[in-house]
Amino acid sequence: MDIWQKLNELDRRWIYFLMFLSILFPTIFVIKFPVELTPEAEQLYNAVEALPDSSVVMLTFDYYASAMAETEPMSIAALRHMWRKNMKIVTLTNIPLGGPTIAERITRQVAKEFGKVYGVDYVNLGYKANYVAVMHGLAGSIESIFPTDYSGTRLSELPLMQKVKTYADIKFLYCVADNATADYWISIVNAQYGLPVGAGVTAVMAPKMYAFVEAGQMTGLLGGMKGAAEYEKLVGAPGSATRGMDAQSMAHFLIIFLVMVGNLGFFLTKKKRKV
Amino acid sequence: MESLSFIEHFQIWLRAYLILSLFSFMYKDNRFYKLSEHIFAGLSAGYYVGLIWQTVIIQQLINPIYDDGRWWLILPGILGVLMFARLIPKWSWISRTSLAFYMGSTAGIYLITNLHGFILPQAVSSMVSLNPGNGFGATLLALIIVIGVISTLIYFYFSKEHTGFLGVTARVGIWFIMISFGAHFGYTVMARVSLLIGRVHFLYFDWGESIRQIL
Amino acid sequence: MKTTIPIIVAFLAGALLVVSFFINPDKIFIGDASEVARIWMTIISGFALVLGVVSIVRVNARAVKRKSEGWFYKLMTLLSVFAIAIPGILPITKTSVGGSIFYSIFPESWSPLLGTGANSIYDWLFNYIDAPMMETMFAMLAFYIASAAYRAFRARNAEATLLLLTALLVMLWRVPMGEAFLRLFSDNLPGYINTYVMGGFNVAVQRGIIIGAALGAASMSLRIILGIERTYMGR
Repeated sequence: MDIWQKLNELDRRWIYFLMFLSILFPTIFVIKFPVELTPEAEQLYNAVEALPDSSVVMLTFDYYASAMAETEPMSIAALRHMWRKNMKIVTLTNIPLGGPTIAERITRQVAKEFGKVYGVDYVNLGYKANYVAVMHGLAGSIESIFPTDYSGTRLSELPLMQKVKTYADIKFLYCVADNATADYWISIVNAQYGLPVGAGVTAVMAPKMYAFVEAGQMTGLLGGMKGAAEYEKLVGAPGSATRGMDAQSMAHFLIIFLVMVGNLGFFLTKKKRKV
Repeated sequence: MESLSFIEHFQIWLRAYLILSLFSFMYKDNRFYKLSEHIFAGLSAGYYVGLIWQTVIIQQLINPIYDDGRWWLILPGILGVLMFARLIPKWSWISRTSLAFYMGSTAGIYLITNLHGFILPQAVSSMVSLNPGNGFGATLLALIIVIGVISTLIYFYFSKEHTGFLGVTARVGIWFIMISFGAHFGYTVMARVSLLIGRVHFLYFDWGESIRQIL
Repeated sequence: MKTTIPIIVAFLAGALLVVSFFINPDKIFIGDASEVARIWMTIISGFALVLGVVSIVRVNARAVKRKSEGWFYKLMTLLSVFAIAIPGILPITKTSVGGSIFYSIFPESWSPLLGTGANSIYDWLFNYIDAPMMETMFAMLAFYIASAAYRAFRARNAEATLLLLTALLVMLWRVPMGEAFLRLFSDNLPGYINTYVMGGFNVAVQRGIIIGAALGAASMSLRIILGIERTYMGR
C-alpha cells in the first residue's frame, strides 16, 4: 500500500489529536500576532462611541451557552465600552435555555469592575417567550411585556425604568446573538420602529449579516471570535477572544493543510487508478 | 492569581471532569460520556420548568391577577394550560384553539415582518446605480450585487425548467453561490474552532491553575 | 366545530396583528387589542415550552419502569430534571406564592438557594454543570470539521474547486497570522476580500436567499391566517 493510500485510511482519531495540539501549542507558546480591524467592527464601535454619555442602551444576550466562547467576549467588551461612557443599560434575552442566567452572571461580573449599581445603572429584564411578540410589545410598553425584572422586582420600583418606558427612550440596540433573533431585531425593531441596531454574532451567522449591514439596516457587525477580538482591541481591554487568536490561526492553518493533503491524495490515487 | 477556595477548586474540577468525559467520546463511546450526556439532557429540560414558572406563571399571571386585579389574564392562562391536552391523544383536539391563536398571531407578525423588514429593504438596496461615479471598484461592486441577486433568485426558481436564458442565468447564479457558500464554510470552520478554543483554554488556564495551586 | 373554531381564532388573531401595523395605536382601539394579543402570545408560548419537558419525563419514566436497555441513564436524566426544576419553582420568600406554607415547615435560611436567582441551586446547576457540557458538545464539532476537511472536502469539479478556494481564502483572511500572510502578496488584499468577496458576492447571494426565504415565509404565514395550512392542528 503506498503512502497516499495509507494517508487516506488514516484513523480519524489522529486528526482529532492534531486538532487538539494545534490549539494547545499556541496557547502554551504565545506569539500574539496583531489583530487587524474590519470596517464593520469599527462602524459598530463608532456608533456606540458617538452616543452621548449616559444614554440608555439595550443590550441583548440572545445566545446559548454553547456559543459563549464567541459571544461572551463580545458582551463583556460591549458592557465595558458602554460603562466607560456611563451609559445606562437595559438587558434582556430571547433565549429560554440559559439566556437569563448568562445575562445575570456577565452583567454582575462586569458591573463590579465599574462599581455600577443594579436598578440605577443597569436592569436585567430576563426572558419572555415568543420573541416577535416581545419585540413588538416593547415598542408599546416595556412594562406590558415585562411587569417585573428577572428577579421579580416590579419595574416601577427600579429607578432606571422610571425613564425607560418604550423604544423611544432607548438610543441604540446592541444585539449579541447566535441565532435568528438578530434578523428579527433588525426587521422589526429597526425597520418598523427606527431604532438603530448593531450586532455581534457567531461566525456561522456573520456572512448573512453582511447583507443587512450593506442595506443600512444594521450599524456595524462583529463576526465570531475575531470580531470579538477586534472589539476588545477598540475598547482597549484585551480578553479571552484576543487570547484565542493565535490558536485560531494555527487551527485554520491545520485545516487548510488537511484539505490540501486530502485533495492531493485524492487526485494522485485517482490518476493511478486511471493509469 | 489569587488563591482559590475549596469550593472554587471543586467547581473547576467538576467542569474539567464533565469536559473530559464528553471529549472521551472522540476516542470511543463509553459509560462516562453516556452518563454526562444524559445528565445534560435532564438539566436542559428541567431548566425550562423553573424559568417558565418564575417568568410566566408567577410574574405574568399570578402576581398581576392577585396584586393588580388584572383578572382577564386568566384567559391566556387557561389557553396555555389547554396546550397540555396535546399529550393525551383522545383529548388533543382541545389544544387546537390555543395552538391556533399561537400560530395565527405569530403568522400575522411574520407576514408583515418578512415583507416590510426583509423583502423591501433588501430589494431596494439591490437597486443600485451601475455608475455610482466612485471609480472602477464601485462600479464592479454594483455589477456584482445586481447580477448576483438576480442570478441567485433565478437559480432558486424551480417552477420553470432551467433552459435558455433562464438556464444561463441560473448557471451564473451557481458560480456566485459557490463563492458565497465557500465564504460561509470558512466562517463556519472559524466558529467551530472557536468553541474548541474556549474549552481548551478552560482546561489549560483554569484547571491548570487549580492543579498548580493544589500541587 | 373542532376545526372551524380554531381556524376562525387563527384568522382573527393573525388579521388583528396585520391590520394593527397600518393603524396608529393612539388613535384607534385596535392598538390596545394588538397589545393585549402580544401579551397573550408571550404567556401561551411559555406553556408551549414546557410541553417538551412533560414528554421527556413521560418517555424516560416509562423506560425506567420497564427497566429497558440503558434504564440507569434514563433514571439519571429524570433525576437531573427534578434536581433543577424543583429548587427553581420553590418559593423564594414567605410572601411568594406558597411561601407561608413552605417556610412554616422549612427554615428561612434556605431561601437564597431557591428560585432562579443568582447563587441559587438552579443557577449553580446551570452554570457549573449544564453550560460547560453545552459548550463542550458544540466544541466537539471542531474535531468533526477537521476530519471532514481531510476526508470529504474534495475539489471534484469546477464549482467545488471554487467553493474550496474561497473557503481557504476566507479562512486565511479571518485570522491574524493568515492576514499577515496575505499582506505579503498585497497590503490591500485583506481589504479586497472584505469588499468584493464578503461585501460583493456573499452579500448578493445572501440577499437573494433572504428575499426568497422571506417570500416563502410570508406566503406560509398567509396560508396559516387564511386557514389553508392546518397541519399545526394535528389529527
